[in-house]
Amino acid sequence: MQQQLANIVSEASSAAPAIKTRPEFEVFKAGLVGSKGSMTAVMKLMGSIPKEEKPAMGKLINEAKQKLEAIFAETLARIEDAELAAKLGEPIDPSLPSPDDFAGMRHPLSQIREEVCGIFHRLGFTIAEGPELETEWFCFDALNTPANHPARDMQDTLFLPADTKATDAPKKADEAYLLRSHTSSVQIRTMLSRKPPIRIVAPGRCFRRDTVDATHSANFHQIEGLWIDKNVTLKDLKSVLDSFVREVFGNAAETRLRPSFFPFTEPSFEMDIRVPNMGALSNRWLEIMGCGLVDPKVLENVGLDANEWSGLAFGMGIERIAMLVHGIDDIRHFYANDLRFLRQFA
Amino acid sequence: MKISLQWLNQYVDLSDVPAEKIADALPMIGLEVEEVLSAGLVPLEHIVVGKILSFVPHTNSDHLSVCQVDVGDGVIRQIVCGAKNFKANDVVPVALPGAVMPGGFAINETTMRGEVSQGMMCSGRELGLNDDHGGLLIMTDRDLALGTPINDCFPPADTVFDISITANRGDCLSHVGVARDLAAYFNKTLKNPVAGADRKAPSGNASNAFLSVSLETPNCALYTARTIRGVKIAPSPEWMQRDLLAAGMRPINNVVDITNWVMAELGSPLHAFDAATIGGNTIKIRQAVEGEKIKLLDGKECTLTADMCVIADAEKPMVVAGVMGGENSGVTDATTDVVLEAAWFDPGSVRKTSRALAVSTDSSTRFTRDVDPTLVDVAGARAAQLICELAGGTLEGEPVALGAFPRADRTIEISGDYVRARCGYAVEDAAILDIFKRLGFGVEDKGNSCWSVLVPAFRPEVDRPIDLVEEFVRIYGTDTIPSEAIAAPNTVDADAQSAQFTRKAANLLAGRGFAECVHYTLRDSAEVKKCFGEKMTDALALANPLTSDQSHIRPSLIPGLLDALRLNLSAHNEPRRFFEIGRVFRPDRTGALREVVSVAFVVLAEPTTRSWKSREKLDVFFAKKLCTEIAAAAGVAEQRLLFGAPDTEQTPLWQKGHSALATDRARALTIELGLIDAKLALSWDISETVIAGEVLLLQDAFKNPPKRARFKAFSTFPPVARDLALVVDESVPAGEIADRLKATANKAASKQFLVEKVNCFDVYRGKGLPEGKKSLAFEIVFRSETKTLTDAEVGKVFDKIQVDIERAAKCTVRR
Repeated sequence: MQQQLANIVSEASSAAPAIKTRPEFEVFKAGLVGSKGSMTAVMKLMGSIPKEEKPAMGKLINEAKQKLEAIFAETLARIEDAELAAKLGEPIDPSLPSPDDFAGMRHPLSQIREEVCGIFHRLGFTIAEGPELETEWFCFDALNTPANHPARDMQDTLFLPADTKATDAPKKADEAYLLRSHTSSVQIRTMLSRKPPIRIVAPGRCFRRDTVDATHSANFHQIEGLWIDKNVTLKDLKSVLDSFVREVFGNAAETRLRPSFFPFTEPSFEMDIRVPNMGALSNRWLEIMGCGLVDPKVLENVGLDANEWSGLAFGMGIERIAMLVHGIDDIRHFYANDLRFLRQFA
Repeated sequence: MKISLQWLNQYVDLSDVPAEKIADALPMIGLEVEEVLSAGLVPLEHIVVGKILSFVPHTNSDHLSVCQVDVGDGVIRQIVCGAKNFKANDVVPVALPGAVMPGGFAINETTMRGEVSQGMMCSGRELGLNDDHGGLLIMTDRDLALGTPINDCFPPADTVFDISITANRGDCLSHVGVARDLAAYFNKTLKNPVAGADRKAPSGNASNAFLSVSLETPNCALYTARTIRGVKIAPSPEWMQRDLLAAGMRPINNVVDITNWVMAELGSPLHAFDAATIGGNTIKIRQAVEGEKIKLLDGKECTLTADMCVIADAEKPMVVAGVMGGENSGVTDATTDVVLEAAWFDPGSVRKTSRALAVSTDSSTRFTRDVDPTLVDVAGARAAQLICELAGGTLEGEPVALGAFPRADRTIEISGDYVRARCGYAVEDAAILDIFKRLGFGVEDKGNSCWSVLVPAFRPEVDRPIDLVEEFVRIYGTDTIPSEAIAAPNTVDADAQSAQFTRKAANLLAGRGFAECVHYTLRDSAEVKKCFGEKMTDALALANPLTSDQSHIRPSLIPGLLDALRLNLSAHNEPRRFFEIGRVFRPDRTGALREVVSVAFVVLAEPTTRSWKSREKLDVFFAKKLCTEIAAAAGVAEQRLLFGAPDTEQTPLWQKGHSALATDRARALTIELGLIDAKLALSWDISETVIAGEVLLLQDAFKNPPKRARFKAFSTFPPVARDLALVVDESVPAGEIADRLKATANKAASKQFLVEKVNCFDVYRGKGLPEGKKSLAFEIVFRSETKTLTDAEVGKVFDKIQVDIERAAKCTVRR
């Protein structure tokens, strides 16, 4: 019997390495410890052996069982490892490229827009939007632009046919529809729709009847800013815009307000910046936006008392800022959408 | 406009201010400097006066001469020269070895085709003196000593500022105007040449012995004419030619030069007629007759319209008022009698005419910026006096002077506190008053730091207290405005909902590997038509497109994205996924245009990149998933969307049978998705399969603020699933059956437990099914909130569902 046990263990031990799969293992295991297994058969003999031999025999059987259990565990672990290896496949070569051919990215104009709006957001400015398809009153009259102003000419501004109806840009009276030439029209719609204090930035698309070249585009993007409150001053204008410039162009950027003219601000300025580290444009005064105090006439046009309220406004070209920040020399790149361009700003 | 520093110095003494400092100051007072130029001769060394003693043709050249030149130092130099315009004994500028020409070219002794050349004889252009490069600068008749440095032969170089003047600063379209601003800025005295002139209102005198004038249009507020007889037309004096050249004007003859010079000095345009050409000795200032023709000074023939103003004689228009004179009425060499016009034309009228005729002149530029009406007669008198002095005529008869001043000086009441309140920083009353005075404004102190400020007529746009604040800041210096910490009280406001949505949508798509594009709004009509049909095209046309390929506003972002695919395919950029977010335009049922927020994307079904490992190709349902996610970002849940097939007849953009259209119940959100019509894609040179989607949102979609999520408790018990296959007609959409099944299941399970999910997981056609039928397999998931469901409980409900669904929908349960 002792011999029998030794044979069972030794046969099991030598057969185990050949077992490759779980079914084989089950067959193997059943052949030993199943109801008809060889080990089970030996154990059944226990009843027939003399009482005084039982303790010694029992010990032998237990030892043999433990050896078999160890063989089973080892075999099973080996099979599980093999199964896992089969499931995982060959080890990877991490130096191979990913087969996924896409990488998403925001357009540089969107990135700059969100950066600028984010900077003003921290100063309490929230985003307002207005229609691209505007009326002449909102785009010009309300902004104190006289009827004979050159910008209102058919040669400079794109108009819609006279019978156009546009639900999303309610008219003031019976004025014409046009594609807005600036985002300043959002100032008007905002001031008419809510009470001051107002602090908004209005990013959006604008249109000029221009021939496309390296610096001109049939449409372009602006960010308009408006702050209406009691006692808004030139100092506020300078402080807000200086803070913006430092965030975008760094602490070394200098600014200056150069007197200029816009019908809807008085006084009006162009803001110039001078930056030490901007490639070929370093250390030169560069125009970046128009700004000023909101003209009292504009406040009156939207029913605000110019003695009670005052405001500041500014407007910058997103393309312009993006071109300065990234050193882009041709505005047409923004509209061609060549991946070799877009990927540079991903 | 070009402003000469030497000329400017006649009106304000800037001799102690370096030109660079003036160039820096001008933009800071609102006069933008486009360019700082130099006029005349810059200091040059080793260039002297020399005489060509003799010359012979170069033996090795057919165009060079070998000259013997004397520069007065006792040495005869040989110089090889290519010019042809000289003769022996001509006196010319000679650049000797060591000289550096204005362009940077250094002169050395050289050998040219075997002949020694010990210098260079120069043209006017080589010296930087003028534009003449027709030959050497011949100075023979000037009696110059040989060896005289060239700078001693010409006035010193002038600095010229090319200034761009904003629409509100018509007063600075003259040397006196710019001098006034600079005098104010540098706190110097303005020496106004017409300071004491009598600015009298028009006398009303309509005729004199030589001329009768009738003023017949409101577009000319003021008209004066003077007759000067016996003039001798000749070149104007050298100083005047110099001034004009420096200011960018071409000298013509004394009379014309005087009108231009006075205009550039004072800003008031003038016009000189040859009196002999004025038919009937009559001048009529009138509106043009529709279709009337005139040949302008520059030879251009113009057809006039009734809204243009002209100066006519008894028969014909002679001048387009304020714009340009006609070819046949101007001053010529034969002129002896001159009629000198000084007038004030309506700025709007001149602007419209100038633009309509596409003629812009020094004169029209000034009239459109509203010239000082009180200066008109003063300028006329000054020019008449100069003509008499320099062209030898006599002023005859009384000047004709009709009309009235359209505007005059104004008084503005303002206080020091108002200025400080707008500025936001401390400034003394005295500093404010000082600046008003420096600008030539009159100030009357009303006490209590309140003033009455008199603004003369030369500043039409300074009208209100706020305009005076601008004047103060401009001269006081914008660099004095402090920059401080910003007080930003909360306005309790959120970003516009449309902005919040587009940001979410953009981040979603960029996160899925889409590259964001930006395309033009304006599209070609043929493109709109081929994608969206004729009706859409008609609704989206502009009234005045610049070019035919930018004639329509876009109804969709997808054509632009197809442009991006085409470009990147042809550039071998391995494109795959693009998106764009922007506004598009669609007519509603009434024909009114809606401005729609659009989120659109295109993706190629298969990659264009070659790879060692292939991926499963994409299909339309990829687009559906993305579109519903974008809709969810706008607050529209998928179950609120009704999907159907689009009318591909009306919108040929989409491939029939492989595209979908969905709206929410409020019709504020529309989804269009599917394959781009294969033939249409080919018209973009794209043979690959293109999957696309566009989510379109009306402003109505952003009316209500997004709802905050409310937490709902969920079951802790396990789900039980049952599968059910239904056989339906091929034409029945799976979504319709799913909706019915959901309703039926909910009803059957009601009050007992929940139907958590009804999901179509298989669509089968073919063996075992009749022709024209398909089998839809659904998984129904049940769950209770209170207990673990038993097979029996679920089985009972499931049996009922199988019976009920056959009644609720046209289907049979496949068993």
